[in-house]
This record gives sequence, structure tokens and C-alpha cells, in this order.
Amino acid sequence: MTPSRVLTILTLWILALALWGAQTPPVRAADPQDFAYTLGGQVSDPQGQPIEGAHIALYPGKDTQPLAETESLSDGTWQISLSEIPLGELRLHISRPHYQEQDISIHSALVQEWRSSGSYVMEGITLKRRVTAGFWAATVVFLGVLLLIAFEKLHSTTAALTGASLIFLVSYFGSAWISPNLYIIDFERALEYINWEVILLVMAMMIMIAIIEDTGIFQWLAFQAYRFSRGRAWLLALILMALTAVASALLDNFTTMLLMTPISLQIGVALGINPLALIIPEVLASNVGGISTLVGTPTNILIGAYADIGFTDFLNYETGGVLMALTVMGAFVLYHYRDEWHKAGNTLSPALYKRLQENARIADPQALAKALTVFTLVMVGFVVGEHVGAPPAVPALIGASALLIWLKPDVHHMIKAVDWTTLVFFMALFIVVGAVQEVGLISLIAVTMSKAVGTNLPLATFAVLFGTGTLSVFIANIPLAASMLPIVEFLTGSIPGANSKVLYYALSMGAAMGGNGTLIGGEANLVTAGITAQTDSPITFREFIKIGLPVTYLTLFVGYLWLLIRF
Amino acid sequence: MPTILYPTRGGRSSYPNQERVFALARERQADLLLLYVTNVEFLGLVARAKVVDLEEQLDNMGEFLLAMAQERAEQAGVRAETLVRRGEFRQVLGEVVAEYAVDTVVLGAPSEKTGLTTLDFMRTLCAELSAETGVPFLLVQDGEIVETFIPSPPEQADD
Repeated sequence: MTPSRVLTILTLWILALALWGAQTPPVRAADPQDFAYTLGGQVSDPQGQPIEGAHIALYPGKDTQPLAETESLSDGTWQISLSEIPLGELRLHISRPHYQEQDISIHSALVQEWRSSGSYVMEGITLKRRVTAGFWAATVVFLGVLLLIAFEKLHSTTAALTGASLIFLVSYFGSAWISPNLYIIDFERALEYINWEVILLVMAMMIMIAIIEDTGIFQWLAFQAYRFSRGRAWLLALILMALTAVASALLDNFTTMLLMTPISLQIGVALGINPLALIIPEVLASNVGGISTLVGTPTNILIGAYADIGFTDFLNYETGGVLMALTVMGAFVLYHYRDEWHKAGNTLSPALYKRLQENARIADPQALAKALTVFTLVMVGFVVGEHVGAPPAVPALIGASALLIWLKPDVHHMIKAVDWTTLVFFMALFIVVGAVQEVGLISLIAVTMSKAVGTNLPLATFAVLFGTGTLSVFIANIPLAASMLPIVEFLTGSIPGANSKVLYYALSMGAAMGGNGTLIGGEANLVTAGITAQTDSPITFREFIKIGLPVTYLTLFVGYLWLLIRF
Repeated sequence: MPTILYPTRGGRSSYPNQERVFALARERQADLLLLYVTNVEFLGLVARAKVVDLEEQLDNMGEFLLAMAQERAEQAGVRAETLVRRGEFRQVLGEVVAEYAVDTVVLGAPSEKTGLTTLDFMRTLCAELSAETGVPFLLVQDGEIVETFIPSPPEQADD
């Protein structure tokens, strides 16, 4: 069985389990009107964040048989209803894994007050974190997954799946056979951490991209840029940067670079310059261009779904910064490759020109017209959908289905084009990150970071932007962003003024811009290097870092200025 | 007419080695077979599955780079054919040598400044391939022949 088939089967299993979990009918909560007395309140952690899923049981005095039980909701609120209240003191027992249990006595006077008013709201209950063996187990697994991905010891999907499996192994078998303290998270709770909006949006976009890429539009645009520049290599480099930035914003930078690199190499060779003077700027622009839309980078899709940031929000709040960053990047590129621009000359014979033109022709104009029509409607759907509460995955799924019906491509080919590896990676990663959220590692990091930046929003923005940017130079930005999201959520809730979501935008910019730092900073960099290694102009680690690292910090700086201006 | 096989990756930095091969072909009155080998194994480095038909794109790129080399060869008075193949370079080279009855293979070592491989590696490769295929290999770098690898004649069985 091939690895891709194994992954597909695993995906289907996870999907099936998730649907099963989603369809399990919830236990019907008793209608409060059936009861005469209700007792309620809210449970939160020491930082004031609501705690979901805390078990609250009401006992009569020291009795061990509870009168009623309930669980706190996502906003931390809870409510217990009784048809009658016994005489004497009552006791409330609150428990949740990874928190210290708490008993609260409800004195007779309060019970009397409750009885006379019918309902009573208690003061907020604060549960303290408890560092258990499960905390350390989850932390080790989480760090292990990050390290395996960073050092490429395992395929990132395998690393994340192994991490998720270990979490369950420790939670179920470790806690049952070795120590209950090893418990991390249960299966149902773990599934709740999988963001299906992200999965479905990524899947739908992959189908649309697969159809568009076959049309040859990228190659055609690159060739038109070559014609338009009339041998002026510096102008061509700037146009190609702009093209890849826009294409990356609308599709994704990985696919964009797969399609742009071969034709750009040919154009570079045709011009008689080092093709890397065209290609490296393209990769840099593709990593930054994607920042300005929701679908431009996988990290933006993650951030958008997590923080409820829509398509127009990304456009409104990040496009200006992206344009500023691209301008600075363009200037740096022109300076860095200044010797190459003079070498350019139009030396192609008519036969070679014709061959180049043939390699850059639009393969299927009709399919392209249809694909662009649907794609434009999907973009409109993203904007309109925000007004009717439709998440971006909805127009994307409709668009993908419409293309499949209208163009009737080979469905097997289309299903193969869906990158199941990435989807499984996302799902497994959500579980691993969810596990460290459950045990409190993320809140520990968030509290530490919060103490460091205090209530200073510009400092917090700087820390998130440059911290994420620097880490992205070495660590794949998807797991990094997924891990950072709960931290940014915490900071957003605790720093005055951060509810503008500026820290999420800082995360988006940092994760993408940091990818330019080294050859291993982004997958688009790696595939581009792989393609150039097939020619006599390979991108070496050193060659890339000489331009990538300065561009990373220049663009991070520009991005920071933009966020300060915009917010 | 003898055939010289010259695998090339095209591009400006290949020009000195190309010139040397053209001169050699003229000297020997040989035809040139220009070979470009594409290999997408590097996609295994990335987490993302292969979505684009990259092999076709690389084939197009190879054909274009070889067409440029072919044009240069013809301008130098050498007749050249082009061939784009997919796969692992070493294996493909062996197959092409056998398939096209090649007389000599010229491998160009990239310049020390730009290359991803070392001259020592290229020497070892030439020696091994020459022994495997029974065809002489010439190693050129920066337009100069660095070393010639003549395969040992097969040992005669004692009567």
C-alpha cells in the first residue's frame, strides 16, 4: 500500500470519526422551567480566561451523592437546576483535568437566600492550574513533533500523526495502567480542536488551484512580462515579483513557484543573465504576497478561522503593509543583483523565441475562462459571505463543486490533486496543539509572554511579529502559527487595545515574512531550489540567505511600521 | 559517424564546457547527442504532495535549454541531436549510452564557485560509469579536459 493511500485512508477515518462525534446527540439539558430553583456562576482560570468543561457537582453537606451535576460551557458559565433545595449547608465541588479541584461551601444563610429568590448566581470561581505528569508528557510530545519537523527527521505529516497517537496512547493506556496523572485529553475533546473550517477551505482551494494550474496561465503571464520588458531585466524582475505576489495572494505560493520557476529559468537563460536574479526575488515576493488575503497562505487560513478574521479584514489591514514590504524588497533586489541587469540582452533566435512562446502558451483557453469566472465569483463570495455569516469555506466549496460540474475534469485526477498529506498534517497538528492547550503549556507561555510585554501593545506587536518572524526562519510556519494562536488569543484578551486583532495580523505577517530568511524557511523555497538544481544555476543555502535574511528583517520592520500606522 | 554524448544543464556557466565539447566533436568529426535529465525526487523534501505536473514543465525547460545548446553547436559547425529523459541521472546515462551506441561521453563538472558537486565526486562518477558502460569518459571543467577515463579491456579468458 502506497504512503499516499495510507494517508487517504487515515484521513477518511478521521473524517468519519469526526462526523460520528459531531452527530452524537447531546444529552438533553433539563429545561430550567421544569425546576423551581437554579444556581449558576462562571468558572475561569487565574488569568480570567473562561474554563470550558469544568465538572460542577452540588452535594448536601458532607454527603457523597450529588444532588445535581453540570459542566461549564465555552464561556465558562454553568447552571444547576433543582426542583427542591434540601435543608442545611450545601457543598459545590468543581473539578477539571489539569486544574486543582475546589470545594465551596454554601452556608445556610445563602441557601435560604437562594430558596427565597428561586435563583442564585454565585461569585466567579477561579481554578488554579495543576502541573501533572500529563503536562510533561504532552510537552515532550509537542516539542518532539516540532523538532522532528524542523530537522526533517520525519515527514511533517508522519511527525504530527505520531504526536497525536502518542497523546492518545498516554491519555488512555498510560493513565489507566501507570498513573491517572498521565491523562492529557480524551478523544472527543481532541476532535473538538480540529478546525473543520480550515480543512474544508484548504481542500476546496486545492481543487480550484488544480484546475487553474492546468490552464497554463502562469507561464503565459511570465512570457508576457518577458515580452513587455523588452530585454530590461530589472523591469522584468519587478514585474515577475508583482505577478508572483498577486498569484500567491489569490492561490498559494507553493503552486505559484512550481509553475513560475521553470519558465522563469528559461527566460533568465534566454536573456543571458543569472536566472536566480529573477527566481529568488519571485520566491521572496510569493512568501510576502500571500499575506494580504485569507487564502494566500495556510497560516492566514488558520488565523482567519481561529480569530474570525474575514477576507476583507485581511485585505483592509494587511495589503498596505504588503505593498510597502514589496516596495522595499524590490529596491533591495534591484540593488543586490545590480551587476546582472547590465548583462541582459535579447539574444534569442526566432526558433528559440517560438519554442519559449510554445512553452508558455495557454493550454486550454476555454477552461481558463470558466475557471477565472468561477474563481472571481468565489472571491466575491468571500466578501458577500461575511454579511450573511457564511464562513469562507462555504463559497470555496461551492466554487470547487461548480468547477467540477462545469469543466468535468477527471475526478480521480482532481481528488489526487487534493493534498491529503497537508490536510492530515493539519488535523494531527490541531490535536497535538490542543493537547498542550489542555494541559496548560500554552497558557504558561502566554502568561510568561504577557508578563514580559505588560500592557504595552506596540511592544507586544513587536514581540509577536519579530518573534514569529525569527522562529519561522527555522521552523515550518504552519505548526508555529498553530501553536502561537492560543498565545495571541490570550494576549489579545489581556492587553488593552489589542481587541483590534492587531496581534493576529502581526502573527500573519511574521509567519510569512520569516519564511524568506533561509532556504528551509518555506516549502516554496525548497521546491524552487529543487527545480533550479536541475540547471547550472542552483540556489544554494548561502546564496539564498545572502538576500533572504536581509529581506526578512527589512520587511518585518516595514510590516511593524505599517501595523503601528494602521492600528 | 562517431557519437559523443554530452549531458548538459544549459545556461551561461555551461558555455565554456560546451565550447570544449563542440571543439572535440569537430576534431573527431563526431555527432553530438545533447542530453538533459529531469528528476523530481526533490519533491519528497517537502510536506506538500505534488499537485502540479512538474515533470512536464521540467521537460519543456530541458527541451528549451537543449535547443539553445543545439543552436550554439550548429553555429560552431557541429551537428547535434537533443534528448530529454526523466529519472536518476546515473541510471539514465547508462541507458542512453547503450541505446544510442555512444562512443564517448563528456561530463562537464560545474565551476567550483557555483557547483553543488565537487570535482572529486565527478571523477568517481566518471570512473565508475566508464567501467560500467565500457565507454570512455572525458571530464571537463571551465572549458578544459580535466581527466580521461578509459575503461579497462575485458580480461581474456586463458586458453
